[in-house]
Amino acid sequence: MAKRLKLIVSHAPFWHDGGSISKMNLNMILALMPAAIFGIVRFGVPALGVVALGISSAMLFEFLFNLVSRKPVTTGDFDAALIGLLFAMMVPAPTPWWVVVIGTFLAVVIGKQIYGGIGGNPFNPVVLSMAILMVSWPVFFDADAALVNYRFDFKALAPLPALKHQGAGALYHFNAGDLIMGDQIGSIGSIFPLGLLIGGIYLIVRGYIKWEVTVSFIAGLVATAFFFNLANPDSFAGPMIHLFSGYTLLAAFFLVTENSSSPVNFVPMLIYGALGGFLVILIRNVGVYPDGTIFAILLINLLNPLIDTIRPKALGRRVNNA
Amino acid sequence: MIKRSFLGVKKPVLKYDFVESEGKEPEQLPRPSSVVLLLDEPLDSTRINLVKTGDQVRENEKIYLYKNSREYVISPIQGEITSIESYPGEFGDIGTYLVVEKSDHERSGDTKTDVVESLAGPSLDTAEKYLKTLPGAPPFDVLAEKGSDIHTIVITGFDPDLMATTRRYFLSNLKEELKEGIRVLKDLTHVPKVAVTVPETVEDRPGFEGMQLMIISGAYPEALPLMIMKNHLNITVPPGKSCVDMGVCFISAEAVIAMARAFRDKTPSFEKVVTVTGKDGSRKTIKAMIGTRISEVFKALNININENDRVIINGPMQGFATFTLSHPVQPSMDSIIVQDVDDIQHISDYPCINCGNCIKICPANIPVNLLVRRLEANMFEDAAEKFDLQSCIECGLCSYVCTARIPLFQYIRLGKHELLQMKAEAETEERNG
Ligand code: SF4
Ligand code: SF4
Repeated sequence: MAKRLKLIVSHAPFWHDGGSISKMNLNMILALMPAAIFGIVRFGVPALGVVALGISSAMLFEFLFNLVSRKPVTTGDFDAALIGLLFAMMVPAPTPWWVVVIGTFLAVVIGKQIYGGIGGNPFNPVVLSMAILMVSWPVFFDADAALVNYRFDFKALAPLPALKHQGAGALYHFNAGDLIMGDQIGSIGSIFPLGLLIGGIYLIVRGYIKWEVTVSFIAGLVATAFFFNLANPDSFAGPMIHLFSGYTLLAAFFLVTENSSSPVNFVPMLIYGALGGFLVILIRNVGVYPDGTIFAILLINLLNPLIDTIRPKALGRRVNNA
Repeated sequence: MIKRSFLGVKKPVLKYDFVESEGKEPEQLPRPSSVVLLLDEPLDSTRINLVKTGDQVRENEKIYLYKNSREYVISPIQGEITSIESYPGEFGDIGTYLVVEKSDHERSGDTKTDVVESLAGPSLDTAEKYLKTLPGAPPFDVLAEKGSDIHTIVITGFDPDLMATTRRYFLSNLKEELKEGIRVLKDLTHVPKVAVTVPETVEDRPGFEGMQLMIISGAYPEALPLMIMKNHLNITVPPGKSCVDMGVCFISAEAVIAMARAFRDKTPSFEKVVTVTGKDGSRKTIKAMIGTRISEVFKALNININENDRVIINGPMQGFATFTLSHPVQPSMDSIIVQDVDDIQHISDYPCINCGNCIKICPANIPVNLLVRRLEANMFEDAAEKFDLQSCIECGLCSYVCTARIPLFQYIRLGKHELLQMKAEAETEERNG
């Protein structure tokens, strides 16, 4: 046969929609920006430090783990960067540097890499890390105490702890409109619900997160809070307060939707999200923690493999011997 | 190539292109002076061969590699066999190619059968013996073997994969011939039901009386046989079974016309219509003789192929990439697509990240995310029993949307191939033991 020309030989299909892990993660990071920038502006240089340290240490741990385990370097997929950013956004601005470093270590190495890296983790890495830290050093996550040296021009209270300690009587301090615009204190990235909403809706429109999980999570949370409030308005806050405070929106768009620890089938995604929303309120209203989001997510992560077994019959498969 | 749209929440849709090539005749390529003929049979030195290099062949002569071979080719030109070599296919399957160089030598002492004399009386037997390699690759072996079990023949007037307008050309432009062909086919097979797939844009549909018209209006993979079985015939094909097992046989419109012409003219035709798409997406239909090297096709159309380009045969979703420009135009070749080296999207070695894109798009409800983990671990039986490997209709859409860019479709086809081999081995063992 005539002159040899090297052609690329590979397998069908020869088209791809162009999506990739790094594009997905970059879009997630972009979507987090409004809330992250708001937090940095509000809390100043310490917040910037925490965010920068979070991202860089997470990437460094990923890189070191790649080296030690002799795997290809994966920092280029921005997954570690996203983990670092999310972690930083979940802690208060004055968090000591070593807590941030331990946190990203736990998230990247214990939360993700020891399961074989991306796609293998049964728990959301950031949530797992936060849970370990909250149990070990609860003092760093009490935003009221951590931010005691700050002066704000609004009532400087974290809504959920106030609720926990004073009951719904504390509610006159807050209204949903102020909360959504960021007049509350809390972790760096959770105090600006409007920014989180904008980023989250962007991700849903672009198809980068599982909207089914987000929508059912919010629905489950709102419904549960509504019924608690209905049953006892004196001790339980209404759904809007819950929706716009604590980690709720950060969780709805960025944490419960984490791919590896959440279902892929339609009905399971709905059950998973709704159960998560329900558990958040249950822990907030009945449990000892002011914000139940972290533990609620760990619980649904645990149930995920079970829930995701509900799936439609494959083509050609019929009900037994029919 | 169709990229993800900004609105990613909607699942991506690969629309079939309904633009008609109406009226435009395919560009006729010159007859080549040397042809490459492919046979789906490996070289085997232990068998008694019937041809060797240096043999003279006549035009329309039927060539078998070995005694007792079932596969044959028919030479479109008179000439000399100048080489017989192995041809590597997918998944390690090996075929054989013959090169025939044109010459005017008349061969003496002829004993071999000639196609022309045998086409006098149309019958399924003759069709199987002489017309399997007609343009469009009609499945006459299936019809001859399973004739009585086949209750429906579906004539595809619409190309199943994207970027091909070959079958549509025959449906729209040669309708009278197609109808005549269908009549001959009915006489041959006595199959009770005949259906035709028709694009929604073909307005003038009468003339197919007594046949079910299957209107293809949406997006890929609607025109794939297994989707037609489900949507238009309401037949469930159990995992591991084929359409033929369920009594349905698909034949391309081109093959039906080629058969009718062969019986009418008492000589087989070798003119294959192929849709060729260049690097810039410009599309042309050509008519080339079976056996023509694709390098000649590109020369005729002024398409330059550079190092590391990709040449795709039979569609972007289901086709294959050839390693050589000497690959010939084949009876089953409906389209050729040239992809520039810069347009090739690379696959990755990432694991599944569980994003769920494949689950959303799979028309067969296959748990691709779980399946791929078994396939990566070579657990083929597990994959088939618990994760529905055999229900896959081979549309390739899961690979198309995979965020981790896993070659899912490759794993799936390989898995099915391995299962087939395991089954074949088990059967031989049973027979021997
Ligand atoms: S190729 Fe992929 S998307 Fe298509 S049917 Fe098979 S598993 Fe489903
Ligand atoms: S599309 Fe790819 S990465 Fe996403 S769930 Fe399917 S196999 Fe996994």
